[in-house]
Amino acid sequence: MAAYDVNGTSVEHDEEGYITNLGDWTKELADVIAAAEEVDMTDEHWAVVNFLRDYYEEYQIAPAVRVLIKSIKKSMGPEVGNNKYMYELFPYGPAKQACKIAGLPKPTGCV
Amino acid sequence: MGGIDVTAALYAFLFYLATLLLVVGTGMKIRRYAKAPAPLKIPTMPAPRTQKGVYFRMFREVVLFESLFKSNKWIWLFGYLFHIGMLVVLLRHIRYFTFDVWWWVEIIQPFGVYASFAMIIGLAGLLVRRIVVNRIRYISSPSDYLMLVLLMGIAGSGMMMKFVTHTDIIMVKGFFLGLMRFQINALPASPILLVHLGSVALLMIIFPISKLLHGPGVFFSPTRNQIDNSREKRHIAPWAKKLEE
Amino acid sequence: MAKLDMNAEGGPKFMADPFTIPDIKCGAMEDLESYMAHPKHNTDLGFPGELIDNWQEVAIAKIGELAEKNRAFQVYLDSCVKCGACTDKCHYFLGTGDPKNMPVARQDLLRSVYRRYYTFAGKYFPQLVGARDLTREVLDEWYNYYHQCSQCRRCSVFCPYGIDTAEISMAAREIMDTVGLGQKYCNEIIAKAATVGNNLGLNPKALRATLEDLEEDLEDETGISVRIPLDEKGADVLLITPSADFFAEPHIDGLLGYAKVFHEAGVSWTVSSYASEAANFGMFIGSYENMRTLSLRIRQAAQDLGVKRIVFGECGHAWRVAYSFLNTLAGPFDFLDQNYPIPQHIMEFTHDMIQKDQLKFDKSKNDHIRLTYHDSCNVARGAGMGGYEGGQFDLPREVLKACCNNYFDMERDTIKESTFCCGGGGGLLTDELMDLRVKGSSPRMTALKDVTEEHGVTHMAAICAICKTQFSKVMPKFGYEMDSILSVHQLVSNALILTGQETEEDAAPEGAAAATEVTQ
Repeated sequence: MAAYDVNGTSVEHDEEGYITNLGDWTKELADVIAAAEEVDMTDEHWAVVNFLRDYYEEYQIAPAVRVLIKSIKKSMGPEVGNNKYMYELFPYGPAKQACKIAGLPKPTGCV
Repeated sequence: MGGIDVTAALYAFLFYLATLLLVVGTGMKIRRYAKAPAPLKIPTMPAPRTQKGVYFRMFREVVLFESLFKSNKWIWLFGYLFHIGMLVVLLRHIRYFTFDVWWWVEIIQPFGVYASFAMIIGLAGLLVRRIVVNRIRYISSPSDYLMLVLLMGIAGSGMMMKFVTHTDIIMVKGFFLGLMRFQINALPASPILLVHLGSVALLMIIFPISKLLHGPGVFFSPTRNQIDNSREKRHIAPWAKKLEE
Repeated sequence: MAKLDMNAEGGPKFMADPFTIPDIKCGAMEDLESYMAHPKHNTDLGFPGELIDNWQEVAIAKIGELAEKNRAFQVYLDSCVKCGACTDKCHYFLGTGDPKNMPVARQDLLRSVYRRYYTFAGKYFPQLVGARDLTREVLDEWYNYYHQCSQCRRCSVFCPYGIDTAEISMAAREIMDTVGLGQKYCNEIIAKAATVGNNLGLNPKALRATLEDLEEDLEDETGISVRIPLDEKGADVLLITPSADFFAEPHIDGLLGYAKVFHEAGVSWTVSSYASEAANFGMFIGSYENMRTLSLRIRQAAQDLGVKRIVFGECGHAWRVAYSFLNTLAGPFDFLDQNYPIPQHIMEFTHDMIQKDQLKFDKSKNDHIRLTYHDSCNVARGAGMGGYEGGQFDLPREVLKACCNNYFDMERDTIKESTFCCGGGGGLLTDELMDLRVKGSSPRMTALKDVTEEHGVTHMAAICAICKTQFSKVMPKFGYEMDSILSVHQLVSNALILTGQETEEDAAPEGAAAATEVTQ
C-alpha cells in the first residue's frame, strides 16, 4: 500500500489516494494530499475542507454537493458558494477531491 | 454389377453414421438447450407483449434475418443468398429420396438450378468479406474459413454434375432409396459425385459440434423468444425457486 | 452557449460521424485495469477474498455450471458464426479501435475457453476452432476486457441470433468473483447497499438531514411546503430512487421534480431509509444471489411501510432490474395495489398526470434550453414503459415536450433501441477507467454535436444516474459545460407551476414569497 509522507511519518492511502485510517488525518496531512493533487490550499479551500470534516463528524458521510455549496454560500458569500467556483477550487470535483484532502472516504456509487 | 461394390458399401456406412450423429448429436444439444432454464427475462427490448407477437418476431428473424438486415446490408445480402439458395437446393434434392417425385418438388427443379448460383455467390461473398474486412478477419478461426470452403465444395461439386460432367442420377437415386430400405445399391463411379457426397456427410457429422448449431440455437435465444410481460407474470427458474425455500 | 469550446482539455474527441469505424489497433486498451476488490469487498458478498489456489479448476467448473443454469449463456457460446455483424456496434470499439472491444471478440475471450473444455472440437482440435487453455494471462485478459463492457446490449439488437454480450460479460464477472477476482467499484458498492441500504453509504440520519435541507430549498423556490417524506408508514407510494438523487448534480434536481409531481398529484409518498437505493449492482457482476438480496430489501421496505405502490426514480439499470427482474427476484407482490403497474416508473406516473391534464406547465421556463434526449441503454433495451411496445421511447419524449418548447432528437440510429451507451454503464463509472469512458462516449457525443450544429441544441436530458454522472464528467472534455446534462424531472420541475404557487408575473418583485407563506 502506498503512503503519504508527513514530516517523516507515513500515512497509508488506498490506490486512489484516500487515506485508509480516517483517524490519521491532520492539517499537515491535508497539505501533503493537496500538494499531491496539485491543489494550493487557500482559506477558501480550508473552508470547504473544514465544513466537510464537521459534516462528516456529525453524519459519518460527506454532504451532498448542494448542501456543501449552500453552507459555503452562507459563510463566504455567493462568489465562492457556487458550483462553478467549487470546481475551480477542486478541479476533480468538490465531492471527490475535497473529500480526499479532508481525509474522508471516497463517495461511492453513481456520483 | 456383380460382387460387392466397396465404394457403395463405404458410402452407405458413411451416410448411416452421419445421419446417426446428426440426429442424435443435434437432438442431444437441443435437449440441453431446452433443459437449461432462463433465470431472468432478458428479451432485447422493445419486445412483443404477446406469444403471437413472439412468433412473429421469430418468423422475421428466421425467415428474413431481420436483425442482420438492420446491422449490415452486405452480410445480410450474402448470408441471405446463401441460405435461401441452400434451402431451395435442399428441397430440390428431395427427389432423390422419394420414389414418386412430389408435385411441388417437381416445380422447384428449375429454380433449384438458379438457387445453386445464389448459394455459391453468397458463400463467395462471405468468404471474400472474411478475408478482406480487417475486423472479420480478426475474429476468424481456421474453422470459419474451412466451413465456407466445405460448403462451396458441396455446392461446386453439385453444380459440376449439373453443368459439366453429368452423373447417372437415376443410379444415385437408387442408392439413396436403397439406404432408406436398408439395402446397399450401387453408386456411379464418378469422382465428383463421391466428393459431393463425402462433403455432405462430413457437414452432417460436424453439424452438432460446430457453429452450425446456430440453426437450432436461434430458436432458443432468450433475447428473441421471450415475451415482454415480466411485470404482469412472474417468471422463475426452478433452481431460483429453491432459494426461496 | 451552443457554440462548442474547441479548446477543451486535450481538444474534443469527436468522430467524423457517430458510426465511423476506426482502424484496428491491437492491444490499445490491454493495459487498462480497473482496481481489483480488496479481500473484504469480496468476502462481504460471499466470494473468496483473494484469488484461490485452484482457481483454474473452479473457474472451469463454474463455466459448466452456468451453461446448465442459464440457457442464454450456453446457446450464445455455441451459436456465434463470426459473421461480423456486431463488430462495429460497440461504442468502446468505435472509441478505442481495440479489436477485443468488438462484441464477438469480447465473447470469444470466454468462448475460446468454453470450447477447450466443453466441446468436442475444442478438446481435440483446439487450434482449428480457436480454443485455448485457461491460463493466468487469459484470466487477466478477462478481467481487463470484461471491465470494458458496459453491458448496454447494443450488440444484441444487431446479432442475427440475439447474442447478448452483456450476458457473457456478466457471466465472466461471476466466474471471476467465484475464484476471488472481484472488481473494487462494484463489489464495495454492493456490500454497502446490502448493509447500509444504498450505494453511497448514506445512513438514515444523514439522509433525513439531506431531505430536510432539500425541502427548505423547495419552499424557498416555490413558496409552498413540498415534502420529501422519509420512512412514513402508511404512505401510498414508496419511492425507490438511486442514492445519487440524494447527493449529486443534476440528479438532485430530478428528485425535486418527483417531489413536486407527487405534491401536485396529492398522493402520500415516502422514501425508505432501509431501501434507499434503486441501483442494483448485483446485475453488473452477474450475481443472481446478490441481485436478489438487494431486491428483497425493497420488498421488505414496502411491507414494513405498508405502502400500496412502488415507484422508481430515474435510474437506468435499476429500471431494468425493476421492470424485468423484480417480480422474479422478490415477487410476488400480491400485497400491493394491483391497479397500478408493479413497479411503476416515475415517468409513467408523471406522463399519466400530464395525460389527465393535472399538471400545469409554464414551458417558457425552459426556453433558455434547446434540448435533446439520451435514451439510456438499460431503459431502451432492457425494460419497457407505459405498458406497450416502445413506450420507453415515447413517454420521456412526451413528458419533455410537455414542458419544453425546443426539443430535437439526435440521429435515429443513435437513439431508441439503437442508442449509444453514455460510456460509463455496467460498473465502469470509476475514475481509473476515465480514458475508456471518454473514448466510449465519443459516438454519443458526436451525435450530440451534430444536433448542436444543426439545431443549436444546448442540453441533453437523461433518466439514468450513471448517464448523468458520466456526462457531467465527460462533456467538458468535448467542449460542453458540465451542467449540459439534465434530469428529465429537472425540466419538469423547472416548468411545473404548483397549485397556489405565485408566478413571476403576478408576484410583486420582492418579499412576495414571504407574503404567500404568511397567508397560507
